[in-house]
Amino acid sequence: MLSNEKIISTETILNEVHQIKDDGYRFVSMTTVENPDLTIDLYYHFDREYQLVNLKLTINKEFELPSISKIFLAAVFVENEIQELFGVRFDGKAINYGGHFILSDADLENPMCRNQIVIEQMEDK
Amino acid sequence: MFDMIGNIFKNLTSKPATRAYPFKTRKLNDNVRGHISGIDAEACIYCGICDKKCPSDAIKVDKANRTWIIETYRCIVCGECVTVCPKQCINMEKEHMTSSTKQDIIVCKGSPKAPKVETEKVSVNA
Amino acid sequence: MGKTIIPFGPQHPVLPEPLQLKLVMRDEKVIEAVPAIGYVHRGLEKLAEQKDFMKNIYLVERVCGICSNMHALSYCMAIEEIMGIGIPDRARFLRVIWAELHRIHSHLLWLGLLADSFGFESLFMQVWRSREKIMDIMEATAGHRIFISTNTIGGTHKDLTKEQQKDVLNTVALVWDDMKAVEKVFFNDYTVQHRLKGVGVLPKDVAYELGTVGPMARASGIIFDHRTRGYAAYGELEFEPVVETDGDSLARTKVRLREVYQSINLIREAIGKLPEGEIFTPFKGNPNGEAVIRIEQPRGEVMYYVRANGTKQLDRLRLRTPTFANLPSLLHMLPGSSLADVPVLILTIDPCISCTER
Repeated sequence: MLSNEKIISTETILNEVHQIKDDGYRFVSMTTVENPDLTIDLYYHFDREYQLVNLKLTINKEFELPSISKIFLAAVFVENEIQELFGVRFDGKAINYGGHFILSDADLENPMCRNQIVIEQMEDK
Repeated sequence: MFDMIGNIFKNLTSKPATRAYPFKTRKLNDNVRGHISGIDAEACIYCGICDKKCPSDAIKVDKANRTWIIETYRCIVCGECVTVCPKQCINMEKEHMTSSTKQDIIVCKGSPKAPKVETEKVSVNA
Repeated sequence: MGKTIIPFGPQHPVLPEPLQLKLVMRDEKVIEAVPAIGYVHRGLEKLAEQKDFMKNIYLVERVCGICSNMHALSYCMAIEEIMGIGIPDRARFLRVIWAELHRIHSHLLWLGLLADSFGFESLFMQVWRSREKIMDIMEATAGHRIFISTNTIGGTHKDLTKEQQKDVLNTVALVWDDMKAVEKVFFNDYTVQHRLKGVGVLPKDVAYELGTVGPMARASGIIFDHRTRGYAAYGELEFEPVVETDGDSLARTKVRLREVYQSINLIREAIGKLPEGEIFTPFKGNPNGEAVIRIEQPRGEVMYYVRANGTKQLDRLRLRTPTFANLPSLLHMLPGSSLADVPVLILTIDPCISCTER
């Protein structure tokens, strides 16, 4: 458990973030961790005068989250990165890189998740 | 304008700022980490601690065959193996590793372990 | 009047690392520009989950070549907070000395590149010549010019003898004299003022809203320096954050140059107050828990998140580097500027793209 951690749910994200912006906080980053039972923990970090506030959210991989880039423009780069590396989709981003922010075309899909890769043996003729 | 004259005089009379490399090279300190050049094969006890501690898995130790192999281009010259070796037998050279077209692998082989000599128990009559 | 699109491509003489911008221009003025990265992505966060947590120190140090010591410092601080290890006093001061030497070398590199970006090559060479003195002293004390590998979990590996402390003080005195000679050119020269004054203005409220950190934020008037919180031995040293209020490129140059003087004073004070004792506390076991650590790198605030689960391998290591936080300010500064100012503007955010992409 982190200190200053507040657990929220998917319906209340935008209200909480609006409230935090009105209180004068600054956006720091977002962190994604994959749990052993294949759900995803998402942390939002905000800061004001050296105090950090963390919002924690636990979702399944197929869920589509609203984007906070209309409230904090600085979040647009990290949301694109999370979409490419983990597969969590964000709806309504201010700039959409469409899968080419960090990964190139030859890379695997969602490399940070625990993927099952099946290798098939080719028959030698 | 008078600053300029002082500058010109200083530039004409002082030594050049560069060194005439490759005729003169820089003197290196003793604790500079350059590259690993091998071990002292007779002093090594083949314990395998350097194999476990290497961050990039460059060292392979085979205790049964008494061999110690390092792939020099995987080595990141961190110095962990030199610090943790119980016999202090790994050599770290000061010169920087130069580039080459094929990978250099250094293999050091020690002599096989001498077999244990059986000592006979002799009883002494009091 | 049509629009032209000019690719400010990944390879450019002024950029230290690859970054692409597609500039949409009308007649020498930039209308919009969106940055694109992804040329040096190495997947280090995934690799850190597969290696031993002790071997990760060397991996994390090699994320970036310019701020390498501070990455290792924050990783060690994160693991020490999870496991509850206290470090000896001498180790805290030694960490400060090497961290400030790294800060000086990073700022001198940036000053040289800025002079090169508007064509002043002799100033570039003069500044990098002073930087060589710092690299030589790092090689003499720690063994390597860039990846000095002095931090470890529980303290530091290497110590400074009395001879080495005198060498450090002599070297920083020479660097002080060099910077005094160069300062007049950066602040007062007529051509430098034309290229830097009034270029890329970032007002204070916009800088706070976009989340800028480091010298970019301090040049716009936001007083924000993590070293005042007192981690490592900074709580026992006296200094004030360097702040300017204009918000243009000349203000950012002034902040970084004055931070070189501030770092030299911190090194002198830390060597004067260095206590005797051990440099390392041994520990046993594996970490279990999570922690967030933020420290002040040369470019700004870096955030590390570490989660461990009791085995030798970590569950997750995440780093958010300061250049990633300064990228959105490019979206504000570039539209409306002229084409000749684009290299100067990109350099004032101090781009370290290999940190951004890991």
